[in-house]
Amino acid sequence: MSRIHEEQLTSFFVENQARFYRLAYSYLKNREEALDAVQTAVCRALEKQDSLLEPDALRAWFYRILINVCTDTLRRQKRVTLLPPEELDEGSYEDPLPADELLQRRVEELPLALQTVIKLRFYEELSLREISEATGWNLNTVKTRLYTALKKLRVSLEGEELYG
Amino acid sequence: MDEFKDAKRAYEATPIPEELGGRVWAGVCQGRANRRRARRRRLLRTVGSLAACFALLMGGLNLFPGFASAAADIPVLGGFFQVLTVRDYDATQGQINYHVSVPEIQTGSDDALAEKVNAEIQERVDAHLEETRQLWEEYREAYLATGGTQEEWDQRQMDVIVDYEIKSQTDTTVSFVVNLFQGSFNAYNKLYFYNLDLANDRDITLEDLLGEDWVAICNAAIQKQIDASVDEQGFTYFFPPDKGGFTTVDEDTDFYISQDGAPVVVFPQYEIAAGAAGAVEFPIGR
Repeated sequence: MSRIHEEQLTSFFVENQARFYRLAYSYLKNREEALDAVQTAVCRALEKQDSLLEPDALRAWFYRILINVCTDTLRRQKRVTLLPPEELDEGSYEDPLPADELLQRRVEELPLALQTVIKLRFYEELSLREISEATGWNLNTVKTRLYTALKKLRVSLEGEELYG
Repeated sequence: MDEFKDAKRAYEATPIPEELGGRVWAGVCQGRANRRRARRRRLLRTVGSLAACFALLMGGLNLFPGFASAAADIPVLGGFFQVLTVRDYDATQGQINYHVSVPEIQTGSDDALAEKVNAEIQERVDAHLEETRQLWEEYREAYLATGGTQEEWDQRQMDVIVDYEIKSQTDTTVSFVVNLFQGSFNAYNKLYFYNLDLANDRDITLEDLLGEDWVAICNAAIQKQIDASVDEQGFTYFFPPDKGGFTTVDEDTDFYISQDGAPVVVFPQYEIAAGAAGAVEFPIGR
């Protein structure tokens, strides 16, 4: 098993720091909180580096840590209520958002789980498999959420574009 | 995908704060230090309870080689240096938060020698800490002089992290690196290398390890490794020699001694290669 070297991990953080900040900021909408989230996630990743078994999964593994830090922050502030997926009201998933706003704005208004799948797929360009690793949802759940999100955003994409 | 192009562009236009780099480094340093501490504690607990069982028979940890290698991260010195213990402390002074791990040597018989080495380490660490305090003071003056208010200043915090790693040791020598990190407005991370010949009370030099041709030997080995780093596209992290890249080693070049006794030359981050490469290391074969 090839373990990832601490130096590789560090340069991965340094090289991609802007991406991490943007993702954190997109959840937290606050500069200081987003900086804190990135610092905390990097610190936690270094502490838990032994849990990364596949160097290829590095990106997904770190996004998972970062997203957890962000959702923990949101939860602490009670800015979001995280319901287990089965309790999510079908209606709220199905109702399309008004189409006149900018797409980016509409993404921000999606339920958190749907936001995450859109951001990771289209902004961060993760594959569905990586999204599954980054969120801990199984692949079918990722697909279902992606379709639901797109439906809500009134965006239709061809299959190829979806799987990238 | 076109639908998302504008959304992605808007997303990527999120302004990136200047402090981001510093905060990432702070995360890296904290994470590293926490991990080492956790491992040390875990091992010390194991070592502690087992050692208690064996102490009477074995007379000490170092006679139990399996142990010493399993506990590779716990610095255990062989020969007449018995154990290297650690002084860990966290403290807050004013706006400065210290997280410090300092190595400390204990010897079985020669307490005077242990004291000398520990004093040496402590002196160097103290000098680092004093330096950060001065830096903080300079920041404060600059901050207030450029229109910042005392109230705003009082919100500021600085993290100072001191951690270390033992690279190798023999009966009479020890090679270790102290990592000093300071983060506030900007982050600053410095590695201090110590190669001590305890028997003769002196620093070990590259010349001691490689002979009088040490400059040529190092330069050839380093240049070879830099050349080998160029990939198929002709890309390398290293700067060309005329643009601040590597030219030669000298008396001030940092190095440590690896487990097999060979020197490893180290250049700080940014010095001869792009920042993304971090501090770069070159093993020098003998």
